[in-house]
Amino acid sequence: MLALDLLLQGVVQGAIYALIALGLTLIYGLLRILHVAHAALFTLGGYIGVIVTNETGSLPLALIVAMVSVGLLGIVIYRLAYKPLLDQSPLVALIASIGLFIAFEEVFRLVFGSYGLSFENPPLRTQVNLGGGLLISHSKLLVIGMAIIMLSILAWLSTRTRTGIAWKATVTDSQIASSFGINIERVRYLNFFIGSALAAAAGVMVALLTNLVEPTMGAVASYKALAIIVLGGLGSVRGTLVAAIAIGIVESFGTVYVGHILDRDALAFAFLVIALMIRPQGLFKAG
Amino acid sequence: MLLSVSNVTVQFGGVTAVADLSLQVDRGELIGIIGPNGAGKTTLMRVISGLVRPTSGSILLNGQDVTGWTIDRRVRSGLALAQQIVKPLATFTLAENVALACGSRRMGSPWQAMTTVNRNAELQRGRELLELVGIAAAADDYPSAVPLGHLKCLELARALALEPELILLDEPLAGLNQAEAAQMADRIASLVTESRSIILIEHNLREVIRICPKLFVQDQGRYLDFGVTEKVMANPKVRTAYLGEGAI
Amino acid sequence: MAYEVILLTTMAITVLFALSLNVITGFCGQVSLGHAAFYGIGAYVGAMLTKGGWPLLMALLPAAGVAGLIGFFVGLMSLRVRHDFLAITTMGIAFLFVGFVRKQEWLGGEIGISGIPAFGFGRIGLLVVALACAGLFAAVTIYLKRSWMGFGFDSIADDEDTARILGIDVPRFKLWAFVIGTAGAGVAGALYAHHVRYIGPDSFGFVESVTVLAMVIIGGIGSVWAVALAAAVLSVLPLWFQFIDDYKLLIYGLLVFAVMRFSPNGIAGALQSFRRRLR
Repeated sequence: MLALDLLLQGVVQGAIYALIALGLTLIYGLLRILHVAHAALFTLGGYIGVIVTNETGSLPLALIVAMVSVGLLGIVIYRLAYKPLLDQSPLVALIASIGLFIAFEEVFRLVFGSYGLSFENPPLRTQVNLGGGLLISHSKLLVIGMAIIMLSILAWLSTRTRTGIAWKATVTDSQIASSFGINIERVRYLNFFIGSALAAAAGVMVALLTNLVEPTMGAVASYKALAIIVLGGLGSVRGTLVAAIAIGIVESFGTVYVGHILDRDALAFAFLVIALMIRPQGLFKAG
Repeated sequence: MLLSVSNVTVQFGGVTAVADLSLQVDRGELIGIIGPNGAGKTTLMRVISGLVRPTSGSILLNGQDVTGWTIDRRVRSGLALAQQIVKPLATFTLAENVALACGSRRMGSPWQAMTTVNRNAELQRGRELLELVGIAAAADDYPSAVPLGHLKCLELARALALEPELILLDEPLAGLNQAEAAQMADRIASLVTESRSIILIEHNLREVIRICPKLFVQDQGRYLDFGVTEKVMANPKVRTAYLGEGAI
Repeated sequence: MAYEVILLTTMAITVLFALSLNVITGFCGQVSLGHAAFYGIGAYVGAMLTKGGWPLLMALLPAAGVAGLIGFFVGLMSLRVRHDFLAITTMGIAFLFVGFVRKQEWLGGEIGISGIPAFGFGRIGLLVVALACAGLFAAVTIYLKRSWMGFGFDSIADDEDTARILGIDVPRFKLWAFVIGTAGAGVAGALYAHHVRYIGPDSFGFVESVTVLAMVIIGGIGSVWAVALAAAVLSVLPLWFQFIDDYKLLIYGLLVFAVMRFSPNGIAGALQSFRRRLR
């Protein structure tokens, strides 16, 4: 039973990683930028989720508000921070992004306080029996469901709509795409909007699971999401999903079985380093 | 025998790019490798230089088996490569590009590199080589500031700077106009000495036939013919491969 | 007086730390997001030895040696991965180091090592040693940059495939960069341990790795003087901002962002264009 329980935990954690890392992968695929400040948008999503839920009592409304507003902020960040740096070495954008991330964390601390916020009436805390004594809370179910729904919408958008096809073409080869008359700039805006909105959704989900949002909750996301997209092959959506779930599962099993030697983060990175030594280009080719 | 390629086969994920090719080059030879598009010429070049590992077969340089060696090791033991797509070091001036190559054989060991500061001799030699290939005036320019023709010459100068016994040239005439190409071809022919051989891959048949005493022909990765230029060009199989069936 | 000594020692140690990364990232072009691990290795080795009765000056050598040895193995790994993959691999190494130390009783585990003996020649003595180490390392790296090794590093940083075609033994050059850089970080770490006299796993985390990389990039990749200047300023910036305590990290973050946004080539680049304008 323990094994199943751990597997379930790993999948839930992996689903959250996937939501965070997906936006990062989309942005990397298009601009070759390691966007560390993405983790700040995840934190902001969590805050907006908790605050709006507490004010209005509606979780779905909070989720939508968080996703839309954070998505818009993502566009602003692209326009003001990254666009002027696209011609520079990617390191420049990386360091700028880290500076931005530190500044964001401080803003959250100053505005929302250092101690964090919680739901007044934590939603979805009840447990469901999956049969065989395997219990799961409604919030965890929602997390898995959300990941599946978001990814399905994304898959549908990218294969069935004009915008989505333009977007995929741009990620694959922006020069060819622009010669076909695709407005690259609009695609980039869309990319940042969707990626940031997904991060916000992940933030709300984590708030639901832990019933706590705090200024530093993005710290783990900032580096682990990088590890996941690299493991997935940098820019590969499918690779990112597989890597996210794999790392979630490695962590949940590892902390139980080898937790006395290495901590959670070290386990994830041990897995990453070994995987990269075997496959230096990540699990999947980008594209 | 300077270079001996024996029964080399290269497969990329099930596709055979080069099948069972063998080629011998003596000192002082100038050999043209020709064949239609997709003949696997560049792959053969990459195998000889060490950019690609063969699936089977072996490569001997100066009697030494170099099949498992990295390209930089082969370069330090007498091979030089000028690529079709020019690859200058963008943060180096042209003279520095050549100077680095001048010193690299001696600086192969990091210890030697660490204890040597002076690079004036190499920079001087670099300028001489740029003079030799006719772009001395641009010696202090950066690669982004000079035309493609200059960069092609730079590739050649860098290859010479390595003081190689064997130079591999991949499409050195591509992108040049007719006059430039003829001039470059003459320059290449003049570089062959008793102790220096050149293998030339080139699409410009006219110039290849004009300057190369011997030709190696391959088609779709397979050997077609190897020998004296006139004889090879008279071979009906070669004519078919180039001009299509019934063109004889 | 005591305060200034502490400030200057912090500066000297940080300059040494940043210059050590500058060899790997600035000279050789290999991005490392995990350099704090080697700072940490040096700190732990140094602290364990002096607690065992060694004098600090003798402990510096094994600190450099162990850090350099592990740096050699990380360098070997770096030969397999490139660019962003390398950056994240080195970041992984740093997390492995911290995660490993956290679980080791004999290294103090979560709690860390406290009661590290003070340097025998006092605070001023430590300052002199730190300045000497930083100065010596700066001199060595300036020399390296001018030598053929620096020429080789430049070519690898520019385009390693082309460097190979020109006969440069890229793997060996890279390994040297890693060994020199990580050994330097080891010395800086040992000095740091005896400067603050308490170390724990959290002293060498991701933030520290990122901070030192920021110093190298903000200084301007490769330039020894500019990197030293950036490290000196950034190391004491949070202390200078004490009077606006609540906002100091916010300002730090914004400053890092602003330098990159408005002067992407760092201080070295800004100085260069300033000089050009004067002419």
